[in-house]
Amino acid sequence: MANMPNIAVEVTDLAKSYGSVVALKSVSFRIDSGRYFVLLGPSGCGKTTLLRLIGGFIRPTRGRILLHGRDVTDLPPNKRPTSMVFQSFALFPHMTVTKNVGYGLRLRKLPTSEVLARVDDMLDMVGLEGLGDRLPHELSGGQQQRVQLARSLVLETDILLLDEPLAALDAKLHKSMCIELKRIQEKVGITFVHVTHNQEEAMTVADDLAIIDNGELVETGRTIDLYENPLRRFTADFIGENNIFDGRVSRIDGVEATIDLGYDTVTANSRGQAVRVGDDASISVRSERLQIFDRDGKVEDSFYYLPATHMETVYLGLTTSEIVTLPDGKEVVVRRLSDGVENAGFSRGAVIRIGWRKADGRLHTS
Amino acid sequence: MRDDYSSKLGYGLKWAYLLSIVGALLAPVFHIVYISFNEHGFSARIYEFTTDWYRVVLGDIMLVASLKWTFYLALSAVLTAVPMGLLAAKLYKRTQHKVAFVTLMLAPLFVPADIMASSLLVFFRNANGVFELLGEALGWEWLTHWFELGFLTALIGQILYTLPYAFVIILITMSRYHPQQTEAARGCGATGWQAFCQVEFPQIRAGVFSACAFVVILSFNEATRTALLKGGFDTFANVLVSQMLNVGMSGESYAMAGIMSIVAITVIGGFLIYTLIQSGRLERVARAKADPLMSS
Repeated sequence: MANMPNIAVEVTDLAKSYGSVVALKSVSFRIDSGRYFVLLGPSGCGKTTLLRLIGGFIRPTRGRILLHGRDVTDLPPNKRPTSMVFQSFALFPHMTVTKNVGYGLRLRKLPTSEVLARVDDMLDMVGLEGLGDRLPHELSGGQQQRVQLARSLVLETDILLLDEPLAALDAKLHKSMCIELKRIQEKVGITFVHVTHNQEEAMTVADDLAIIDNGELVETGRTIDLYENPLRRFTADFIGENNIFDGRVSRIDGVEATIDLGYDTVTANSRGQAVRVGDDASISVRSERLQIFDRDGKVEDSFYYLPATHMETVYLGLTTSEIVTLPDGKEVVVRRLSDGVENAGFSRGAVIRIGWRKADGRLHTS
Repeated sequence: MRDDYSSKLGYGLKWAYLLSIVGALLAPVFHIVYISFNEHGFSARIYEFTTDWYRVVLGDIMLVASLKWTFYLALSAVLTAVPMGLLAAKLYKRTQHKVAFVTLMLAPLFVPADIMASSLLVFFRNANGVFELLGEALGWEWLTHWFELGFLTALIGQILYTLPYAFVIILITMSRYHPQQTEAARGCGATGWQAFCQVEFPQIRAGVFSACAFVVILSFNEATRTALLKGGFDTFANVLVSQMLNVGMSGESYAMAGIMSIVAITVIGGFLIYTLIQSGRLERVARAKADPLMSS
């Protein structure tokens, strides 16, 4: 099948090994042009390796990389239509902000007047007007990151790679820079490929997400889809605050699969997954979809209920988390918007029920 | 002083201690230079300033020739040992076998000069023999005489001597350089060479120039290896040592030693002064930018 012209990045069977250490197993995916794509995963999972492969900073052991339909697998970074923002402020300390931002333009032998004009425009765009004469060490962390961003954006490449660009920033700055990045990406309209281990950061900026774990691509899709309906157990465990109930498939009825948890059974839609009786499987329910009920309260047909013991209430400001334990000792978190009431009216050790709407349970077979 | 609670007396004593150590180390060198300007030489009770001894030395054709050979040797050592040291430092940063690599690079430092020189002498003799046989067999006369004692063999000896120092000095400066900056430059469109020249070298050039200065000084003062490997020319240090052994210290000898000391002190001192001026200027500029109203 010919590559569609609106696909910015296409990676096919990409793998990277360092001797006997496999950093990236076979990975294949596509990124549409103009999207903010985030590679999300725990530290050491291979997401930075994948980003650096796309950027040309390391060679793959196997596989191909196509950027806008062109095979760039064997090309060095300076020959690819990409630019990169690094984690640890790879600014040139001996150059001023203006010279840093204009570096790539000067390499292209553009006239000085044009270089200066474009640099000034870009500094305005990232909110650094008037700081062109500063040296990098005279800037704050957030400012340095903006300079890196400006240096990459001014080159007007098609694809911008960002390697944990906000990791070194404090929490408040981190939040504002997330929104700033999203705003800039929407303004310039190019493809961003952003690596992070921070879930909140990913959710804030991403149009599309790819979850990476242990060198493998676990799942990819739109952010809202991965959050609302993750297919893989790892995705459910990694994104959002999900409670996962592990068990075994005891019955299959059409598209519905019943999972035996040991102390109870629950049913969920198989969502197209191949399921057999006896398979290990799990059900995930987001913590904000769970509710707490009295032990002997009303039973509704649209809900599943599990017996539990109330352990603790944790007030977190916007939300309040109720920690409960199930009969098998597993801890479950029930989250609700804080309503000014310190607890849900249950004391520690109280026997209760937790419940969720049947449609909110997601089945995972892998 | 670093903080408000530091003792001024303690601070002053630390500097006095440091300066006295430096003074003790440099005193003999300055004393030699002092004597070299005395018309009556060493141990004379009367001191009369004169530059005559220097005029005698610089008027001596043989001594001037030896000075030229020393200069050529030092320059050639700089042009070979420093780039080799730079490449070795870059390779060290990338290799996984750092311990083995640095051991190999520094090994020549642990071989005494006379052992190194005599080993090289034997090696060159044998290499000459092999190349001569090869040249005769192939009919290529240009293959012969490559390792006959002369400038090349003396230079090889100098390189083996100075390369470890160049490597270490450059490596120290390179430790502050982040390889991500090279990647950032490549990402901006630079080739490897452009990234090195425009991004990496400006940040390590202090180390490279220090290595050049060090190689010049080492080369200028080296006598043992050169004596065995030089062939038909003389270096300044060889002439000085030979004079000291055969004739004893004379006015010319002090002048020659003075020349060598002045060269070394000028090179190092110039470097230090330049670095101090640069860092002072940068500090003033940084203060002015940070607090333009308060700085002056």
